[in-house]
Amino acid sequence: MSDNSTVMGAGSPLSGEVLPPVKTKGRIGEFVSKFCRQRMSLTAAGFIVLLLLIAVFGPFLTPYNPDEANYEVLMAGPSADHWAGTDEYGRDILSRLIDGTRLTLAVSLSAVFIAAVLGTILGLLSGFYGGWLDRLIMRGSDVLFSFPDLLLAIGIVAILGPGLSNVVIAVAVFGTPSFARIIRSVTLSAKETLFVEAARSMGAKNGRIIWRHIFPETVPSIIVNVSMKVGGAILAAASLSFLGMGAKTTEPDWGAMLSMGRDYLSIAPHIVYFPGIAIFLTVLAFNLVGDGLRDALDPKMKN
Amino acid sequence: MGRYALQRLLGVIPLLFVVSVLVFMFLHLIPGDPARLIAGQDATLEEIMGIRQQLGLDLPLWKQYVHYMSNLLSGDLGNSIQSGLAVTDMLMSRVMPTLWLTFLSMAWALLIGLLIGVVSAVYRNRWPDYVGTLAAISGMSVPGFWLGLVLIQIFSVELGWFPTGGVDTWKSYILPSITLGMGIMSMLARYSRSSMLETLREDYIRTGRAKGMREYVVIGRHALRNSLIQVVTVAGLQFGFLLGGSVMVETVFSIPGLGRLLVDSILFRDYTVIQALLLIFATQFILINLIVDLLYGVLNPKIRYSS
Amino acid sequence: MKSKPKVWSMFMLLLIMAVVAAGCGNQANNSAGNNTTATSQPQETGTAAGSDKDIVIAINSNFMTLDPHNASDTHSISAARTMYEGLMGFDENMNVIPVLATEHKISEDGLVYTFTLQENVKFHDGTDFNAEAVKANIARIQDEQNNLRLRKSFAKVASVETPDAKTVVFTLSEPYNAFLNKVAMAPMISPKALAENSADIMKSPVGTGPFMYKEWTQGDRLVVVKNPNYWQAGLPMVDSVTFRPVPENGARIAMLKTGEADFIYPMPTEQVSEVEGQADIIVDTTESTIVRYVTLNTMKKPFDDVKVRQAINYAINKEAYIKVVKSGLGSKLDSTMSSKTQYYSQQTGYDYDVEKAKQLLAEAGYPDGFATEIWGENESETIKGMQFIQQQLALVGIKVEVKSMEGGTLSDQINSVQTPEEAKVQMWYVSWSPSSGDADGATRGLFSSEMFPPAGSNTAYYKNENVDQWIADANKSTDSEEAKAIYADIQKTIWEEAPWAFMGVDQIISGKRSNLEGVKVFPDGSINILKAEVK
Repeated sequence: MSDNSTVMGAGSPLSGEVLPPVKTKGRIGEFVSKFCRQRMSLTAAGFIVLLLLIAVFGPFLTPYNPDEANYEVLMAGPSADHWAGTDEYGRDILSRLIDGTRLTLAVSLSAVFIAAVLGTILGLLSGFYGGWLDRLIMRGSDVLFSFPDLLLAIGIVAILGPGLSNVVIAVAVFGTPSFARIIRSVTLSAKETLFVEAARSMGAKNGRIIWRHIFPETVPSIIVNVSMKVGGAILAAASLSFLGMGAKTTEPDWGAMLSMGRDYLSIAPHIVYFPGIAIFLTVLAFNLVGDGLRDALDPKMKN
Repeated sequence: MGRYALQRLLGVIPLLFVVSVLVFMFLHLIPGDPARLIAGQDATLEEIMGIRQQLGLDLPLWKQYVHYMSNLLSGDLGNSIQSGLAVTDMLMSRVMPTLWLTFLSMAWALLIGLLIGVVSAVYRNRWPDYVGTLAAISGMSVPGFWLGLVLIQIFSVELGWFPTGGVDTWKSYILPSITLGMGIMSMLARYSRSSMLETLREDYIRTGRAKGMREYVVIGRHALRNSLIQVVTVAGLQFGFLLGGSVMVETVFSIPGLGRLLVDSILFRDYTVIQALLLIFATQFILINLIVDLLYGVLNPKIRYSS
Repeated sequence: MKSKPKVWSMFMLLLIMAVVAAGCGNQANNSAGNNTTATSQPQETGTAAGSDKDIVIAINSNFMTLDPHNASDTHSISAARTMYEGLMGFDENMNVIPVLATEHKISEDGLVYTFTLQENVKFHDGTDFNAEAVKANIARIQDEQNNLRLRKSFAKVASVETPDAKTVVFTLSEPYNAFLNKVAMAPMISPKALAENSADIMKSPVGTGPFMYKEWTQGDRLVVVKNPNYWQAGLPMVDSVTFRPVPENGARIAMLKTGEADFIYPMPTEQVSEVEGQADIIVDTTESTIVRYVTLNTMKKPFDDVKVRQAINYAINKEAYIKVVKSGLGSKLDSTMSSKTQYYSQQTGYDYDVEKAKQLLAEAGYPDGFATEIWGENESETIKGMQFIQQQLALVGIKVEVKSMEGGTLSDQINSVQTPEEAKVQMWYVSWSPSSGDADGATRGLFSSEMFPPAGSNTAYYKNENVDQWIADANKSTDSEEAKAIYADIQKTIWEEAPWAFMGVDQIISGKRSNLEGVKVFPDGSINILKAEVK
């Protein structure tokens, strides 16, 4: 049973864990009931559903046109007319937050999705085949890991030019290696399990073994990590906006709103507080859900 | 084990080489011409050409790289494109604030993180656990630069307890360390919670309890010690990320450290300084990884290294 | 059995941590040691508000260089002027005044400039300031090898003669109307320093100025201390001045509020209304030479039609621009240059008129407007300005996409083109300030057809043969009334042809503690501390 799992597996509570081959239905049922027992995570999940609804129906919900400037009410504080006040152009902040939900979620979710797909493929290949492919992929992620992620993102945005799609690419690129490492370590332990060896001894092809036997074992890790990474992606995108490398600033991206509003912190704090709180709550919700998912999916946490 | 360590150590060299090539190419791919930025708004074309020549930027890229590498191997990091100062001197004058900042951030993050984690684990699924969990997850959900700005506003401007930035007294480090350490603290709290829970299930802990050992002895002497190793290992890994995070924090708090030097240099396309900084970041990060990796092998006999 | 390796590794970890800690401790001690040497000097970092005569000035970016002949950014020029002086200088209205020269004479043909020098002036290293020193400095500036930023300003100097120790005679190869302004931009370095360590001028500045160099850590601080032997009696009135680069607007203003800084520049416009009325903080404003405008690429459709360009000028409400983007602190740009620039001539027209704009667009064949993009730097006030322009132009049907780029990238986008046809820039929201306050500096680089990128900054790709000729004529003119008349023609013509959307003139806004006096920001954005005084 010699394997070369490295320390990175330490990041995942699932690493090194030999999961018994259970029937999928039973697992899902068990998971749902376990997840629902965690009230904090459940509330957070409800909040995310609400955010998704806002993202979809946002244009019908905004009390004002989010892009309409009104120079008569510059930086007005919260009032009956403008629940979250107005920004430096007199635009309604609540409307912009609602409108920006879609953008903010779209950027972070798609970045994490790309990172998850790439990372999973690389991790599966690396863990399953080992050898030079493994070394290549792992050294590649070492290289990516040796740059401060922010610089990597700045570099990518600087080369590709500003804009949301490039922010997505930048965030996806520095998210990929950690997925690859985690999936690799899960793959390594799954590879050694009895049923994989059984499948192999029955002459199953590699592709089939990966897809039918190993990939399902990595799904819990993928789900947990996706939910944990979305929060980080939102923060990363906001940081890029803070450095002026983010969304086209006319778009009501939350990070951009926060970054543009920071000069007004001491005179009109609501311009900074509301987008900051929106980001905070959203990231918090995703992290809580991720946490709940991890507890529910992690067999070690069984009582 | 010794052979494995040596192998890994030798493996660092090609990795650093690849990193240096990539950094070099990467930098020159980023649009922007340092000569033009130095020359200023109303520079003539002739002036700009002159600066390029002075800096050797008119040579083909591979020649620039060879030049750079041969200097590097002889220990010369070159001169800053922007200011003409020796890069080594610039780094020396900037390194201490960043080291202090990361060190202090790590120290409090480790302390508080462990505390929250242990309390959460011991009082699992009771209110201290919920409070601790919420606190930890909140900590990792706050945008760092926003937290920094809000802290300055409250504690420096409104209350006047701490300076707004700089590194003149020890007080200057408090707000930036809180900002920088917040994310790591949360992570460590989560990690130590799960690692404590794991340890608490181990047989020898149950045995200890069954033998009638006091609870604080069980937790303090046995469980904590075992999970501590893992937590500290993970914390070590985070040092590299702290250096990255210092970029943002040093900007917000005007700390003259390496992170801010990096931002300034990127804005100016100060290739020599960026290269030096990235190489340093990469080296320390790779080395920390290696050490943690080796330690982990020692720690967990289940993992064996195949050569 | 299990615990043995664990104990061992625990020990290893502790060891490593101990080593790291010891390393940190050592270095910390070293740095503490350094700090003591630094702080044993007049308490430069001490809180400002007290009775000490050490002041702290927070600015928004680093000094790029301390070589006074090689400075191209305003902050470096400010720093140079604390330690160095030129034959001539500027007053707070950007008029050229004598400094190290007591008087100057210009020959009829405009070719020979004779300066009489101050006597009994010494450099910080004790060297005498005299005609030979001036000659050595000009030689350094003109040396092609050095490739200094000032070289182009002295390209027309054919010879420098020193008939006696207090007289310097410059002979030009052709008349150069802005020459006195250029002389005012050339600080004098000690000839001894030039001879002994010409390579390290930057690290050890030696001039004749009111302050002497003490220490500079780029990115952290520049400290200058009082020159006890300064030639102007009674000056300077403070013991030391510390400049600190603080890029974050919020942090800079916080430093002023807490008293960590005595003076900040620039004062973020957004915050002015907040600190106004506070007893301990005073906000100073003064008209600048910094103009803000949008270049319209006159070689590209639809901006090739003068009606479109005029329509844009009618469509933008400049009063609202000042109010929204500049927080009311600024004025409309009513010419191609600011009223503080030499030979300014006021223009009228382009009052906000949406109907007129629409009519002009219709006449030009764009009744429904068109789509275009505007470029600018990704700094928050610039972005705000672009968003404002976008909102205004949307009202006349012009859909503008805002593209903010990081400075270096933007400069590359603009300057990497070799011919006007390749240029991709359509609209560029940008600012300009002629560093020596002269009309040539405010015109040639922006409107001469020789100055298309990458040679210059004519990003409107504006080409008018009359204007080209006038710029050359004015430069050679020896009569300032004549030059003034020529510049009036230039400004009128360009105003009518509207290669720019004329936006605004910045106000220089600085904030200071109320017990500080005499620190002034000049219209070009340089900070003058000669008469700084703590009360």
